[in-house]
Amino acid sequence: MTGVPLNIDWQQILLHLFNFTILFGALYILLYKPVKNFMEGREAHYADMDSKATQALADAESSKASYEKKERDFDEEVRAEKNRMSKEIEAERERRLAAARGEAEKIISDARGEADREKKEIIESAQKEITSMVTDAMEKLTLEQTASDAFDQFLDAAEEADK
Amino acid sequence: MDKKERRKAIIFFSAVALIFMIGAILTGGHGGEEESVQVVMRDAVMHDVNRISLFGLKDVNPGLIAGFMVSGIMIIFALICRIFVIPRFKMVPGKFQMLLEMVVGIFDGMAKTNSKHLNGFLGAYIFAAGSYIFTGTLFELLGVQVMTTAGHAISLPAPLADINGAIMMGCLSYLVIMSGGIAGNGIKGIGKTLKDFSLPLSLSFRLFGALISGALVTELVYYYTSMSYVVPVIVGVLFTLLHALIQAYVLTMLTSLFYGEVSEKVEKKPKVKKPRGKKRVTVVKQNT
Repeated sequence: MTGVPLNIDWQQILLHLFNFTILFGALYILLYKPVKNFMEGREAHYADMDSKATQALADAESSKASYEKKERDFDEEVRAEKNRMSKEIEAERERRLAAARGEAEKIISDARGEADREKKEIIESAQKEITSMVTDAMEKLTLEQTASDAFDQFLDAAEEADK
Repeated sequence: MDKKERRKAIIFFSAVALIFMIGAILTGGHGGEEESVQVVMRDAVMHDVNRISLFGLKDVNPGLIAGFMVSGIMIIFALICRIFVIPRFKMVPGKFQMLLEMVVGIFDGMAKTNSKHLNGFLGAYIFAAGSYIFTGTLFELLGVQVMTTAGHAISLPAPLADINGAIMMGCLSYLVIMSGGIAGNGIKGIGKTLKDFSLPLSLSFRLFGALISGALVTELVYYYTSMSYVVPVIVGVLFTLLHALIQAYVLTMLTSLFYGEVSEKVEKKPKVKKPRGKKRVTVVKQNT
């Protein structure tokens, strides 16, 4: 060993190396790797949880957006339906009003017709009555005239015959 | 324990320590050391006196035996953790789980920060190296006694306070850096790593110097009985703790930095051809 500074011994260096290599292997297998794996697993677990939470948040956001869109669409639909209904109601009202007007006009015209007819009938019956009255009167008159005329004629005939 | 009782206890223990210290100073002596301080300190660096027999096959430095013991302790600890602790890991960690995760996370993070490419192996390497340096340095605090071939009882030093251990760690780190260069840039990676040819030397001797200086100071302090009171609390424990942390950090940081540097892929710069016509025009202009 003399001549080598600080008593450096290559065999002992190799023994130290052998010792450390075994220690390195054992520490890696028994301690470093399992602890690191556990830490990575936990990190992955929390990352997974985080991504799931983010995904859930994104889903909730999209659900919210879709709900809001649906709400808006529904409002829009309700508004459109309302408009359509009000238009329909208006149209129905117009239609019914027109029908009512038509009916009223019909009733009025019917009433007028009826009144005219009744008037006509009244006039006719009145005319008839008048006619019958006139006829009666005329008949009476004629009869009276005929009798007097016949008498006159008789008288005239008689006078002429006398002549 | 209220304040009064605590104060009484502190005064009592201080008095006992003081009595022991006075006794030690009065009785004199060098604390049972058989060699002179020069021999002890020279041996701490050179390991030419106190050697330990490795199963009767070879006499080795105490640092190697300390290395085997540290590795054994660490492997047993890792095995216990693997069997009893890791399977019971929870998503919300307890204190011990948090400690393990913190240690792994520090080295993994260091590898990822300093090397954007191929940092999986680097993380595992600096984890093992950092843990070995830290635990090995703290190991000297235990003062495990062994018998040397010369028949002296010595306490085992840190494994990397042995020059052979430090050279191993420095050279291995350099090889790891080179492997990163090869994996990232192929043959060019070797060239990039060889540019820092002084790196294995600087890594090895920085580690050796830092740890041996700590060991020498501790050796010096413990050599004299009169300095064995209060001072070791600061020198022995705090300094050891500090340089365990610092050396583990320095080596792992340097390794990961160099690894990141050499494994970074070099992008080829597109060649720009100089327009010939333009040159002629300028020449013509100059002539005119």
